[in-house]
Parts: sequence; C-alpha cells; structure tokens
Amino acid sequence: SQCPHKWKRVYCTLCNSKKHSRNRCPSIWRSYFLLEGDSKRVLPMHKIFCYNCGGKGHFGDDCDFRRSSRVPNDDGSAFSGDNLPKKLKVEYYR
Amino acid sequence: EDTRSRKTLNTDYPWILNHDHSKQREIADWLTLEIKDFVAYISPSREEIEARNQTISKIRNAVKRLWPDADLHVFGSFATDLYLPGSDIDCVINSGAGDKENRNSLYSLASFLKRQKLATQVEVISKARVPIIKFVEPESQIHIDVSFERTNGLEAAKVIRGWLEHTPGLRELVLIVKQFLSARRLNSVHTGGLGGFSIICLVYSFLQLHPRIISGDINCLENLGTLAIDFFELYGKNFAYDDVAISVSEHQASYLPKSEYPNLQNPRTTFSLAIQDPGDPDNNISRGSFNVRDIKKAFAGAFDLLTNRCFELDAATFKDRLGKSILGNVIKYRGKQRDFKDE
Ligand SMILES: [Zn+2]
Ligand SMILES: [Zn+2]
Repeated sequence: SQCPHKWKRVYCTLCNSKKHSRNRCPSIWRSYFLLEGDSKRVLPMHKIFCYNCGGKGHFGDDCDFRRSSRVPNDDGSAFSGDNLPKKLKVEYYR
Repeated sequence: EDTRSRKTLNTDYPWILNHDHSKQREIADWLTLEIKDFVAYISPSREEIEARNQTISKIRNAVKRLWPDADLHVFGSFATDLYLPGSDIDCVINSGAGDKENRNSLYSLASFLKRQKLATQVEVISKARVPIIKFVEPESQIHIDVSFERTNGLEAAKVIRGWLEHTPGLRELVLIVKQFLSARRLNSVHTGGLGGFSIICLVYSFLQLHPRIISGDINCLENLGTLAIDFFELYGKNFAYDDVAISVSEHQASYLPKSEYPNLQNPRTTFSLAIQDPGDPDNNISRGSFNVRDIKKAFAGAFDLLTNRCFELDAATFKDRLGKSILGNVIKYRGKQRDFKDE
C-alpha cells in the first residue's frame, strides 16, 4: 500500500486550497449571485444554529464537538462562517 | 444516431425542450434556470387546476346531500400547491356532530358516492390508525383519499401557506426534492420515506438557517442552483441525525439538541429524523420516516451527481455543453406530456 501516486500533491489555483485540484474546486458551483449593499449587513446571531450539536451561535462546520456524521467534510460546506459576507465574517470570528 | 440520442434526451429531461442554458457563463446560473424550467414544466396548467376544483366541488356537494352537517376540505399538497402531477388529493370531512369517523359512516359514504357515479375503485380502510376511504373520481380520473373528523392537516396547510408566502425558493426546492425522492420511492411514510410535510420542514429549515440568506446577502430565486446543491450537502453529508432535532414554528425554523428533548428520540435507534411538533414539544412529526439511512444516502448521492456534473460541464466546450442537462443527472421525469408555456 505504499503507492507513490497517493503522494501526488493536489493544489487548486482558483482558491489556493491543497484539498482539491483546480477542476474540482467547489467555487465552480458554490458561486452566489450577490445582492448590492454589502456594507449595511448585520450579523443575526439569533438565527445561527449548528447542524452538528444543535447549539446556538455557531455554524455546524465551526462546531467544537466531535463530528456526528460519518461522511467527511474536508472542504467545508455552506454552513460555515466562511460563507458569510466579508464584513460579517470578521464579526462572527471575533 | 444524433437524432436518436436527442430524442431520448428530450423524453428524459422534457423541461429543457424549449430552453437551452448551456451558454451560461456560471454553471450555478445554468442549474438555477433549469430548476425554474423544471418547476414551470411540472406545475399544473389552468385547465388542470379547474378540473381539480370542479371535481372537489362535485364531491363536496354530494357529501352535503348525504350529511347536511358535514363539510369536505382539501389539505396536504393540494392545499399548498406543492403537488406533483398525478398525486392523490387528500381531503377531510368534518361535521358538526363530529361523529363520522366510524365503520358505518365510511361504508355509507362509499356506497353513496358509488351510486352518485362519483367514485370507482373504492376502498374502505376502516381499521387503520387514520381510517380513510380511497377512490378514483371517474370523470377526471383523479385519485382521492378522504379521512374524517381531523383538523391537524388543515392547520398544517395554513402554516405552510404562510411559509410559502415569506420564503422565496421554498416552493421550487420542495418540488425538486419531492420529485427526486418520489423517483426513488422514498417519499411515502408508509414505507419509512419522507412525507410531504417532513420534506417541507427540511427545506424550510435549510432556507431559514443558510448563512447567505440570514445575512441578507442573496436573493433565493436567483441562486436556486447553488442552494439546491447546498441542501443536498447539508442533509446528505453533514446534518447530525443522531444528535439534532429540527424545530419549526409559524415564522422560523431552528435546530435543537435532541438531548434536551429525549421524547423526540426514536427508542430503537438514535440515527433518526426528528422534527418537533410545533403544538407539542415532545411529539416527533417525522417518527414514521424510519428509513433515514437511505434518504441520507440518496441526498448525498444527489450532491455527488450534481457537483460532478458541474465539474464536467465547466470543463467542457460550449459545443459539448449543447443540449446537456445538469438537473437531469438527478431528476428524470417521464410524466404525461404537457404544453410548455413560455411566459
Ligand atoms: Zn479551489
Ligand atoms: Zn455545534
């Protein structure tokens, strides 16, 4: 099982990730058509719930508890602080 | 050769007949437009809606003649316009005396409707937890289920109509998920699948909790493609069925730790879908959907098929994209031919 091909490095030139190659980049399909007026957004903490523990205030990707689902989530999903608009991301991770 | 492959394509993905979205620069926009076409394609025409309403009012009048103190109401997917072509109509008869749910009444209604030539293929199922009569209305050939003396279906329909009003994209995604599950026979509660109300709760909670939606960053109808994939990712790969319950109310949805509501937990397995009854916090509305394993697997499969198709078509030339479908990778529809209404 010491297959040398397994060590081939993947790298995505679209988003600088080492978890997938350029032709399998999630940004190919996870591209939202955004509304204007990004500066006025507020972070609705009371609407943030976790798909992993059911708790409030964080998204499932950012949960501190052991992952419950056995399907891996290596690349991150839509339910992550990273999927917030830039300004709110800063607020969320603070 | 070419025309033949084209023909199969058309019967499998009839919604792309008149619209070609393969030139969309963004793959996500292509899928969004295909979803809109699919929804327009399977939505009933005005003639179909009228035929259905006439059928129901004929039966309602007949019920009134038999039992003057009773009234027949439609609930379920027909009351919320979330039905697929060919689905049954769910009705309920409620009466002033409240005494119609018994063997005798079921049989007298069944034979009355037969005599009035309003029902064929009549089945009386009087011993079930929810006794019903099932029949086919001969003129329209619509299948109808009638239950008795119950209001919860009507109340649920009212809540769902409210959700539909304030949640753009809910209708579109529910119809996609419904058609996806029904093709895999995972949409019937009788066999452990997801019933209509559970499907709606999954989609509604997804939309109510999505980071881009709660932050007001996107318009759902312009992002149906990415949102559909995000949905299959959430409930096919990431959602903790063992530990988390879904809670819905008139104006919102949220998640709860199952540990706080042990009565929502399935006594046989922790791996189960729990949707809290808004009227009773200890009641799990989706406890009948015992086949969560296959449902989750199917959703994960839909995610893989859709994203693989996106990667494949993103790399393809415009010429190779022509006539191709993204949605067709997870949804086949071979229903009756409809006139494609271009609006
Ligand atoms: Zn990438
Ligand atoms: Zn958590």
